[in-house]
Amino acid sequence: MKPKDDNSKKEETFNVTRRDFLKSASVGSLVTAVASVAEVEAQTQGPQVIGPGEVPVQLNVNGKRIDLRIEPRVTLLDALRMRADLTGNKRGCDRGACGACTMIVDGRTVYSCSTLAIEVQGKKIRTVDGLADGSKLHPVQQAFCDADALMCGFCTPGFVMATVGFLERYPTATQEQLRKGLDGNICRCGTFNRVFEAAMKAKGVSRG
Amino acid sequence: MAEPQAPQIPQNAQGISDLAKRWAWPARPALLGTSVKRLDGPDKVTGRAKYTFDVNRPGMIYGRMVRSPYPHARIVSIDLSDAQKAPGVKAALPLKEVGAEVMYQGDPVAAVASDTEERARDAARLIKVQYEVLPQVALMDRAIATDAPQVFTGGNTRGGQAQENGDLDAGFKQASHVIEQTYSTHVITHVCMETHGAVCEWEGNKLTVWSSTQGVFGIAQQMAQAIGIPQTDIRVITQYMGGGFGSKTQVGSEGITCAKLAKAAGVPVKLMLDRKEEHLDTGNRPSATARIKAGVSADGRLTAFDGESWGTGGAGAGANFPLPYIYDFPSRRRTHKDVYTNTGQQRPMRAPGHPQGSFLTEILMDELADSVNMDPVQFRIKNSPPLAPNAMWRSYFDEAAKLFGWDKRHPTSDRTAGPIKTGFGCAANQWGGGGRGGSARCEITPDGAVAIKAGTQDIGTGTRTIVAMVAAETLGLPVGAVTPMIGDTMYPACGASGGSTTAASVMPAIRLAAGQALDALCAKVAPALAVDASTLVASNGRIQVRNNPSKGMAWKDACRLLGTEMIAMDAPWQNGLSSTGTSGVQFAEVSVDVETGIVKVKRVLVMQDCGLLVDKLTAESQCYGGVIGSLNFALYEDRILDRNTGQMVNPNMEWYLLAGMSDIPQIEVHIKQQPERGVIGIGEPPTVSTAAAIACAVRNATGATIRRLPLTPQTVLEALSAAQKEGGTR
Repeated sequence: MKPKDDNSKKEETFNVTRRDFLKSASVGSLVTAVASVAEVEAQTQGPQVIGPGEVPVQLNVNGKRIDLRIEPRVTLLDALRMRADLTGNKRGCDRGACGACTMIVDGRTVYSCSTLAIEVQGKKIRTVDGLADGSKLHPVQQAFCDADALMCGFCTPGFVMATVGFLERYPTATQEQLRKGLDGNICRCGTFNRVFEAAMKAKGVSRG
Repeated sequence: MAEPQAPQIPQNAQGISDLAKRWAWPARPALLGTSVKRLDGPDKVTGRAKYTFDVNRPGMIYGRMVRSPYPHARIVSIDLSDAQKAPGVKAALPLKEVGAEVMYQGDPVAAVASDTEERARDAARLIKVQYEVLPQVALMDRAIATDAPQVFTGGNTRGGQAQENGDLDAGFKQASHVIEQTYSTHVITHVCMETHGAVCEWEGNKLTVWSSTQGVFGIAQQMAQAIGIPQTDIRVITQYMGGGFGSKTQVGSEGITCAKLAKAAGVPVKLMLDRKEEHLDTGNRPSATARIKAGVSADGRLTAFDGESWGTGGAGAGANFPLPYIYDFPSRRRTHKDVYTNTGQQRPMRAPGHPQGSFLTEILMDELADSVNMDPVQFRIKNSPPLAPNAMWRSYFDEAAKLFGWDKRHPTSDRTAGPIKTGFGCAANQWGGGGRGGSARCEITPDGAVAIKAGTQDIGTGTRTIVAMVAAETLGLPVGAVTPMIGDTMYPACGASGGSTTAASVMPAIRLAAGQALDALCAKVAPALAVDASTLVASNGRIQVRNNPSKGMAWKDACRLLGTEMIAMDAPWQNGLSSTGTSGVQFAEVSVDVETGIVKVKRVLVMQDCGLLVDKLTAESQCYGGVIGSLNFALYEDRILDRNTGQMVNPNMEWYLLAGMSDIPQIEVHIKQQPERGVIGIGEPPTVSTAAAIACAVRNATGATIRRLPLTPQTVLEALSAAQKEGGTR
């Protein structure tokens, strides 16, 4: 749990996971950061008030359009799990710490338990449910099966999505970078070594 | 992998039926002991696997519980009226009577069910509970004090009977060195990734429960008792569950409440706990503290152990643990008391008691070894019980030390310049495992399909896969030809998956069910081949005459002879295919930054036996997982209570610290084969000794002896500072 060496600076700035963020941020900077996010949102959204009742929400999930009527407070995770029966991604902590809910939105991994559904309208949302090509597993999924990178399997969908998202952004990542890239997900059964092995194997395996 | 030795009839040949002898494990198995990929892997990696959390039933609504924020209080009133009027609410229930006491933070008080989960949370906030706050003792150290408020009448401690063996006085007289110190471990929680909970659906007076549980039959039994309907009217289903680690064998207040809400609402209800509730009210690993006086002779033999221990398992639950752990003290005395506190009750957690006993004993062992200038491994070998199939430590310590490179260990305290110190440590484990009482059915249909039905469940260990492996081994088929059907009380009864008992209690039943089904099939095939049925064997997808593959037929052709009848054979567990008792050792290498106090585990070596190995791949995963669980126990996780309010300050997953990918050491697993002993189990033992091995390695690195977990940077720095004040004498 010590601050990670960032070997990636020369390439591109990494996604800062909430886990990393919490680890490194002091309470003071945490408050500042949250406030500035709120400010940005206030500026971009303007004065329009949505809710608190149900509003129409249109999502693009795994290439399909999903129309829902939900309250604005509903998270992306809950919208899909409870209103669209897309239950592949899981809820572990419900506050952006465990990563079981990890989805890919416009190419970036997000904690869908801490992302409002209304915020990701018009964006391309990918969940674990849509990752495989019919019965053909995505190379990352196949690598997880081959390496036994799962036990109870509850964290697995999030780990798979985190791995896919990371490798798509950084296909030539080093071992250290990959390790760091997967730090935002927790597995209680203790599959980490084999998840890492699977992720390394999947690296560079092209799809199809 | 070495060819397994001929197993055949286990050691205790008495009381073994002819059937169990006939279906003894094969001497040269085709599948057992090989690495077979998890059959449900594809379902889990695609999200198709349906956990209880994922079960969405038609018309289903959501339950939410209201819990006491106080560790100790009396209920003055519960007002459900506003909640009942809230949008979407279909049921609201009190869970405590007025005048009753709540005994811990998180003690359930009321519940509500509404059409969406968000609205159920809103409605729960509208339930008005008035409490009379009572004096609390959530912290164990405070509860022990004589003037502490009482958790229950009769004082806050129970037990205290001394157990004594051998002549303690003589033992201490023989000692050239005596260590007298206090050692302790802390409370941790299970943190199952899938929280506890259920989906309950009534059809008339019959109840179906989807439960995140380690034991479907146990849930049915407990639910029947709680609800007051016959157990036969309850069906419990657990197709997939997201981790239990011992905490999910009880139906729990959430399960019972879910069933009651569903009855009251007249529609299916899903009630899954949130992360905070999970920390507060679904069990924990009790703490352990011991004041120990132990003696060693000048030639490095343990002579005497005198220990007084205590620990808390919460409001009304015990906290005992094995002490001293494993090593031979010729004379010993042990007194233990349980301390009651206003905290949620403990539940078994992966190898209950053993990680605590292991840590307390192994640190002491290193101190004793140093006192007589002996190498810690040699010291352990000298003081381990004699070699036996369930007590292989002398041999494993020796072998594992060589594999680990123990000869490169420096004496206590790394003298290298700079702030990063490295060190080695080791520790032993033992576990019972074994188990009995499972049952299974083997079905073979005329089209050649094979199903195994068993009311066991897969808690993440890979049960589904080994169920299919054992049947496939017996029937001479590939693993994929067998459909394992588990996790349902509609199948033959099996026990809960706890204490490393699933493999040993269920695999024998499957072996015998499949064996008898094969006998029935051979009885049909024999006339067609004009041979005696006793000459037939199943091998490579064929039924054929032993040692004469040409005289036989393909599996499908054989099954076609069944005509319109299918074979369905039930078998219970029988003696002779399983046994009990495992041993193992672990070695760890750590680095410690003496400026920051940060400990990093670099590598861990596991040497572990488990009897007859079924699936090598998933057994190894159990070892990886055990090590990481114990690493979390050693370095990171801690249930922290506020000293004034008694409330948990980190009931989440960001301040309740758990290792992430960057914190994981290299782990090397060596599983020792003991096929002659039959199936035993491997879930618990790998998680026993890692914490102790890490702590011993930290001591070896720094020269500071840390006698309490977790080894947080602060604890390490304090110990280093204390060691310095002692003038570097350790």
